[in-house]
Amino acid sequence: MTANLLHSQDATMPETRRKQSLALRQLVSLFRELLGSPTSAFGLVVITILLLTALLAPVIAPYDPNIINLGNALQPPSAAHWFGTDELGRDILSRIVYGTRISLTIITIVSVIVGPIGLIVGTTAGYFGGWYDTFMMRITDIFLSFPSLILSLAFVAALGAGLENAIIAIGLTAWPPIARLARAETLTFRGADYISASRMQGASALRIIVKSIMPMCLPSVLVRVTLSMATVILTAAGLGFLGLGAQPPLPEWGAMIATGRRYMLDNWWLVAFPGGAILLVSLAFNLLGDGLRDALDPKQR
Amino acid sequence: MKPIFNTISSILIGSALLMQPAYAETPPNMLVVGFSMNNILTLDPAAITGKEAVQVLANIYDNLVSLNAADRSKIDPQLAESWTVGDDNSTITFKLREGATFASGNPVTSADVVWSLKRVMKLNLAQSTSLKTHGFTAANAEENFTAPDEHTVVIKLPKKVDPQIIIMTLCLVGPGSVLDSKAVTEQEKDGDLGNAWLTNNSAGSGPFKLEGWRSNERVTLDRNDEYWGDAPAMRRIIMRHLAESQSQRLMLEKGDIDIAYSMSAADLKALENNEDVKVQTIGGSGFYYLAVSMKDEKFKNQKVREALRYLIDYQGLNDSVLPYFGKFRDRPIQTGISGALPSIGYKLDVEKAKALLAEAGYPNGFSTTLRAISDTPFVNLAPAIQATLAQAGIKAEIITGSGDQIYGAMRERKFELIVGRGGGGQLPHPDSNLRSIVYNPDNSDEAKLTNFQGWRTSFYDEKINKMIDEALVEANPEAQIKKYEEIQTYYADMVPAIQPFAEVVDSVGFRADIRGLELNASWSTELRTVTKER
Amino acid sequence: MSNERLFAFARQAGTVSATLIGLLVLTFCIGRLMPVDPVRAIVGEEADQATYEMVAERIGAHLPLYQQFIRYVNDLTHGDFGVSIRTGQPVINDILHVMPATIELATFAIIFGAGFGIPLGILAAVQRNKPADHVIRFATLIGHSMPIFWTGMIGLIIFYAALDLVGGGGRLSDYYVGLVPDRTGFILIDAAIAGDWEVFADAVNHLMLPASILGYSSMAYITRMTRSFMLDQLNQEYITTARVKGLSKSRTIWHHAFANIRVQLVTIVALAYGGLLEGAVLIETVFSWPGFGQYMTSNMLIGDMNAVMTCVLLVGVIFIALNLLSDALYKIFDPRTR
Repeated sequence: MTANLLHSQDATMPETRRKQSLALRQLVSLFRELLGSPTSAFGLVVITILLLTALLAPVIAPYDPNIINLGNALQPPSAAHWFGTDELGRDILSRIVYGTRISLTIITIVSVIVGPIGLIVGTTAGYFGGWYDTFMMRITDIFLSFPSLILSLAFVAALGAGLENAIIAIGLTAWPPIARLARAETLTFRGADYISASRMQGASALRIIVKSIMPMCLPSVLVRVTLSMATVILTAAGLGFLGLGAQPPLPEWGAMIATGRRYMLDNWWLVAFPGGAILLVSLAFNLLGDGLRDALDPKQR
Repeated sequence: MKPIFNTISSILIGSALLMQPAYAETPPNMLVVGFSMNNILTLDPAAITGKEAVQVLANIYDNLVSLNAADRSKIDPQLAESWTVGDDNSTITFKLREGATFASGNPVTSADVVWSLKRVMKLNLAQSTSLKTHGFTAANAEENFTAPDEHTVVIKLPKKVDPQIIIMTLCLVGPGSVLDSKAVTEQEKDGDLGNAWLTNNSAGSGPFKLEGWRSNERVTLDRNDEYWGDAPAMRRIIMRHLAESQSQRLMLEKGDIDIAYSMSAADLKALENNEDVKVQTIGGSGFYYLAVSMKDEKFKNQKVREALRYLIDYQGLNDSVLPYFGKFRDRPIQTGISGALPSIGYKLDVEKAKALLAEAGYPNGFSTTLRAISDTPFVNLAPAIQATLAQAGIKAEIITGSGDQIYGAMRERKFELIVGRGGGGQLPHPDSNLRSIVYNPDNSDEAKLTNFQGWRTSFYDEKINKMIDEALVEANPEAQIKKYEEIQTYYADMVPAIQPFAEVVDSVGFRADIRGLELNASWSTELRTVTKER
Repeated sequence: MSNERLFAFARQAGTVSATLIGLLVLTFCIGRLMPVDPVRAIVGEEADQATYEMVAERIGAHLPLYQQFIRYVNDLTHGDFGVSIRTGQPVINDILHVMPATIELATFAIIFGAGFGIPLGILAAVQRNKPADHVIRFATLIGHSMPIFWTGMIGLIIFYAALDLVGGGGRLSDYYVGLVPDRTGFILIDAAIAGDWEVFADAVNHLMLPASILGYSSMAYITRMTRSFMLDQLNQEYITTARVKGLSKSRTIWHHAFANIRVQLVTIVALAYGGLLEGAVLIETVFSWPGFGQYMTSNMLIGDMNAVMTCVLLVGVIFIALNLLSDALYKIFDPRTR
């Protein structure tokens, strides 16, 4: 038994590794291609800036984003406050800068929820097939039969407003497309020689899925997750705007717009800048995603 | 950035001038009123909640008596032309005026009045609360509301209270609204006393009748041609659901609406220099307050509560956050109500608060939570209070949410700090404030006296309960005022769970050519007298 | 052959009904898990416990969950979607009332989105990887990336507040409300029937801004798909042949390539139309548009479960239907899948 196991590992691992390194090489050439197109290069640059801003927020932000100074409220953009101040005298630029952390948190956590769930559901459904597959795919169908904002709206309504719940709700709505993709990929690998070989050598299903199938699905799943980022950002902002997402005083951009809206007629900067930030970041992810799609689907080039 | 924007905006404004926009104006005999109608779920007077429905129904239903718009303590006749209080203060007799009719043409009789009052008690919905407080129930309604003849209504008080407070309650839209019993009974379904039908129909004797209501869209009122009083100048009133203060302001500026009831402070302020628009501010109902839950060990300590009292920037809030919403007040009875003492004049005093906290055993402060509705002015009040609390080392995490979530937590007695609004005051009687804000007859969790803020904050003091009860039954007006003054002094000494820092005011914006608008502090502004001068 | 078809059909029907049942369970869970307390919304802040409990019993909020579910499904099978707490009317009546507003908005939006999106997509395909292609991609993706509520606000500030070019919130100016009889719920149609062109113009005036913003947001998807379908065609041999035979470029593009992708485009536009429901939720809030999206969100905030569940269910059904429709169209018209 032990020998068998060892043997099976020997048989599968080099194959998997070879495929993995191939995937890695593909990723590198993908990057090169993305930088070649002006639109996706723009996306990449903006996302890099976003990452740096979030990382260096305390250094970049000129003020503490939560310091209230009612005497300094609703100041228009000036040298001291590039983006002006809000109704409580907080510096809007600093709030937007710190807001990048919230956006990134949302994106990261959603990916961490969505990737594994989608991967597990998709690979197991694809691998086992049968009623389990049917059952799982029906569930994904149900989730897919809603526009993501409406479904996450419904989930947040059920869970209660707040950043955490908004993240969970978005996560709950974002996994089905990933599961679909992972299942499709699994179906193509399932019959591969090395999988059959390790199955014949007695490797458990769990082992095969985790060690052999999942790594193979990973690159395409990663790409798909990137593609959904723009939607995630817009949904989070929409929830914030409706008062169901991040709650004040968190400097979430959508929530900033929701509060700024009350002052919009005289104080345009309260909504203009956070909205611009959302637009920029979501545009960057969309452009990147578009580039990725093109790069991966040569037919459309 | 700025020069670019200036260029853009000057181009925009320039082209706007060239475009010569069509002059928008509402027709001369039609009044358009804008406010948020999110809280209107029914237009049945017995079931309404909140002020928005009152603003609508005040134009449809008459009461026996009404609260004077200018002088809060004065009571005007409406369907009753006179009333007398029995010698032992246990009965009130109303004489109805001759010739009043409902919109259906039916005459208004004492039977209608009695039927309407009994209906409120029998339905036992939102508006029954204010009568139940004084001992009226569905069971005793039969004997307490009687009509000895067609023009006389006698109300017997089941509990010994100041009859004035009952008369004032009958002034309120809701418990005191008089319905056309014949018209409603015809529409009754499964013994619902017309509740379903009245949701979007009306049967009143007021100057207007309900033409239609589309939830979160508009209410249309048409002139009641059968109205017994002077005919209103307006043929039609349209009340529009405008959830956003900014839309109300924009439309008011453009003349698309004539009156805006629920604009935010920022917008009211922006309208100050607009010659086409006027803003009027009147006293409202209740307070803005900081409340603590005395279930919490920390806040059980009187020293801590007293420290909090000195950690509110009364002046700062009054100047920056509260204009148009409220004005400074630190006593539990609103100004202008008989018996109200002048404000004490609490100030932000961090050193004193720190000393008190040290005495209480929290020299370095503590961590807690501060709840607030995610709406103006609370979203501004909460961070401001958070900032002053922090100066004494109290780290309060702000939790915001819908009214249901925030006050829901308060009703379940699961909160630490809340910055909220409330405390009665719809009746211009000191008992209305005190009973809502500090009275608590039973402090057990099972009692679920959720309509008392005293219970919600787990504040219980036998002495103050007794003082409030005694003041209410005091027959001698001067002695009564004295008693209310004593309660306020006692309140200041013992630091209950709720510290008011402002009393509510209501501000309304309207077109400058609107005449005869008499805002009523109890929200029941009658638009009957409004005309347009064009 | 026909047996096979029947089997496929039965299978399809089974799939759809399984999805629908799942949908029911999901919407019910969402409805009942809501932390908002509908009883409190009815009785108000000041009501005492006795009133509260009486109302809770009346709307069935006191029953255990599974009983509520049985009751819910039972009512549904009788075509009873319950009564809305907010309006006191049967939910189905409410939805019939709000739907036309949303359909009117979405229809104009899709006309705008497809009217610009399809030509732009074709242009992008023809100009593949040239500057025009990049510009189109960038411009349409901006529409797809903007937070639609924000664009709506900016649009209102510029076009309503500053320029006065379009109407403000709502479907009509108050002056015109109730002037034409409400026959269909579609103001444009009602006004046209009544021959009242002033009302018609006012309605268009109010519709323009929200519809074009909504349409702009859907343009990226339509343009992208058009471009990719078009590229498919342009790469095919017959195009080359046609060009070699001397047909003009525009003639090949319009008469051959475009003619071949029309069906695909219809399905794409149908799917985009469904997707507009999502944008409608936000844009209706900004423009006080009394439509489906506003109905759903405002009822969500007070915990009006019957209304919310019906809305969620309806969106699910619409999406399933649109997906089936597009599948069917593909099967019927696309020779490759036949």
